[in-house]
Amino acid sequence: MFRNNYDNDSVTFSPQGRIFQVEYAAEAVKQGSVVVGITSKTHVVLVAVKRNAEELSSYQKKLFPIDEHVGIAIAGLTSDARVLSNFMKQQSLGHRLTYGRSMPVRSLVEMIGSKAQTNTQHYGKRPYGVGLLVAGVDESGPHLFEFQPSGMTEEMVAFAIGARSQMARTYLEKNLDKFASCGREELIAHGLKALKESLVQDKELTVENTSVAVAGAKSKDGGAKAEPFKVYDGQEVNAWIESVADEKEAAAGGESGEGMDVDA
Amino acid sequence: MDHRPQAWGRPRDDVYGAYDHSYLQQSGPKTATQSPVVTGTSVVAIKFKEGVVIAADNLASYGSLARFTDVKRLRTFLGTSVVGFGGDVSDMQWLDRHLKELAIDEAYDQEPTAESAEAAAKEGLNAANLYKYLQKLMYKRRNDFDPLWNQILIAGLDEDDKPFLASVDLRGTSFTSPSLATGFGAMLAQPIMRLHAATEEDAAKLTREQAVEVVKECMKVLYYRDARSLDRYSIAVVTKEGIDLKEDEQLEKQSWAFAERIKGYGTQTV
Amino acid sequence: MTSIGTGYDLGNSIFSPDGRNFQVEYAVKAVENGGTSVGIRCKEGVVLAVEKVVASKLLKPGANKRIATVDRHLGVVYSGMVPDGRHFVDRARDEARAWRDTFKSPIPTADLASRMGGYMQAYTLYQSVRPFGITAIVGGFDSELESPVDGEVGQGPSVGAGGKAQDKDYGGPFLYMIEPSGLYWGYYGAATGKGRQAAKAELEKLDLNGDGAASLTLEQAVKEAARIIYVAHDDSKDKDFELEMSWISGTNGPTKGKHQEVPKALREEAERLAKKSLQDSDDEDDDKKEDDKMEE
Repeated sequence: MFRNNYDNDSVTFSPQGRIFQVEYAAEAVKQGSVVVGITSKTHVVLVAVKRNAEELSSYQKKLFPIDEHVGIAIAGLTSDARVLSNFMKQQSLGHRLTYGRSMPVRSLVEMIGSKAQTNTQHYGKRPYGVGLLVAGVDESGPHLFEFQPSGMTEEMVAFAIGARSQMARTYLEKNLDKFASCGREELIAHGLKALKESLVQDKELTVENTSVAVAGAKSKDGGAKAEPFKVYDGQEVNAWIESVADEKEAAAGGESGEGMDVDA
Repeated sequence: MDHRPQAWGRPRDDVYGAYDHSYLQQSGPKTATQSPVVTGTSVVAIKFKEGVVIAADNLASYGSLARFTDVKRLRTFLGTSVVGFGGDVSDMQWLDRHLKELAIDEAYDQEPTAESAEAAAKEGLNAANLYKYLQKLMYKRRNDFDPLWNQILIAGLDEDDKPFLASVDLRGTSFTSPSLATGFGAMLAQPIMRLHAATEEDAAKLTREQAVEVVKECMKVLYYRDARSLDRYSIAVVTKEGIDLKEDEQLEKQSWAFAERIKGYGTQTV
Repeated sequence: MTSIGTGYDLGNSIFSPDGRNFQVEYAVKAVENGGTSVGIRCKEGVVLAVEKVVASKLLKPGANKRIATVDRHLGVVYSGMVPDGRHFVDRARDEARAWRDTFKSPIPTADLASRMGGYMQAYTLYQSVRPFGITAIVGGFDSELESPVDGEVGQGPSVGAGGKAQDKDYGGPFLYMIEPSGLYWGYYGAATGKGRQAAKAELEKLDLNGDGAASLTLEQAVKEAARIIYVAHDDSKDKDFELEMSWISGTNGPTKGKHQEVPKALREEAERLAKKSLQDSDDEDDDKKEDDKMEE
């Protein structure tokens, strides 16, 4: 039987110029439950489905605050995510202490990118087995980045990673043009709807398994203050879940729901 | 006479006395800078409605010698802030190089979707951020017992585009005020500036022309009284529109008539 | 491939009996899969351009830059594995900073290319690392002026600092391309990545080293770079792409000696012309395109 000799470590190129260990690490991301992120001109939201190992165990958290202005959603190895999360917290806090401002989200993301790249070029190291969506607001507004185990980081308008996330991405691509002008509540609703696309057949969004996080930029004219990154769980997300559930039923009734709640 | 090889080429103890080892200490605590060497004198600055005016003369003194007369003590940062240096000139040069590197680093992270380079710079480090950074830097150096022997004024705008002015010194002491002056200026120029802008509200009423006039007046008074000053100076105005920096200005309308009336010093007999 | 199954291609820094390092050759394969990068050096400056294949509609347009500034007067673009490219840029910035610390002046382009060539080569020497999966194009404009020392406070003697011979040119535009092996050369026009064959063919048609009046201006070079990226782009294989371009002129040119992104207006004009010239030559060019594909 043919055996692939080129996939034992991350310092060996295949004859096609691929590094299989890195590609396998990317597979680990697909094992994690799905997370979705979307940006508008004013806000960035993350939504996630949490999983529990068994009926009586608690749910694994998916969304984490890093600093006042930025947070992450994770898919893949949770313990690898914790390493990156701690690193990001240190960098972000250090920046706040020395310059008295929020660290630009791009700089923060590029730092974990570089950190992850090193793991793909040295023997004895392994790539991180986790993908992240990094959401935050800074002086230039709201941002959403995707981080991959290869060290690749890219800024997105909206994105989804994790198990069955292709369905969520299809939803996002379909509605891409609407996001920019969305209000806070509208954006969350889109996030939850994208999330639902990726659920397995008879699974539903519940207050137990759903997490939502939001951050808002300060308005350019100084009117609105920045909304700090905050994660919502449990009963706090009930209204949002119900709002998208209603809509589905309404849609089944023939009309697609246009009467969405717009943030005042 | 000592003929041992160890003594070859050394001053003879019997002629010059024993070598004084205190000049080259082998033991005792390690010491860094104990005093400045080539120095710049006052920096003065005042806020006005839309920005800040800052000035410093072009002299670097070596003790009481007017050693360099074309020294630029106002430095720009990212085209949005001005830093004015008093104190040791070589430490200022070190800081200037350090800030240049910081500015280059900062430019790497510019927001790529910004409309223009200028717009991107506005999203970069502002004067308030720079102040915080210098404050940490100066305080760290003093805790290392290796201070940068300077008093620094930082002029620019804060995150809300409001005028910003602050001071940091070699001890890491830092504060802000509607008007600030270092060195001799703290005694001679500060009271003059307070006449025009005692509070933030007063400063917000000043026009650009008024503020420039006050600073020029201060530079003149300092030149009259500060023996380590010069009548050639640099002046910068920082506003939203950017920095207007002039580095070779001449003090105008000097009048030394008052000198005639000074009695009681030196060799005067009358 | 003859390398496969021999065992000589399973570790970095291993020579095969005929003196080849297969892992380095495989790294080159990674480069050949990446979007095309182009660099043009003309008398007035340097232009860098890259074809960014848009892999997903969800990417934020214009936000993910691939051309990086290394020092004020230096730019880098690369084809291949993007995270490796980022690492390369980080290191180049460290080198530029270290040079400033030591010499109190900006690093000459040639020296940066040398340092980075050495760095890439070091990653071919050990079994414990792998080579870089990128080929980088480094462009810079070394100041033609008597450049002040960093941190300098006065003018010094008015008779001039001296040390420069008269009637001799200093500084100028420079372009280098560094490969995964660490090999680097200076170029008038350089291309790497997927569409390098077509791009090279186009570059060779330009008058880049000419002393004559025909030699390219910087603005023409921008337009040529855009056109070449469009020519090199393979519509049938790849989806959409974004064109990113930067330039560096001398002190008296449009960028005042700095490495900057080409202004939007000029880039769009260059793209418009590129598309037009592509349409115009579509019919005549059909046969030639077939040839290019054969080579790939």
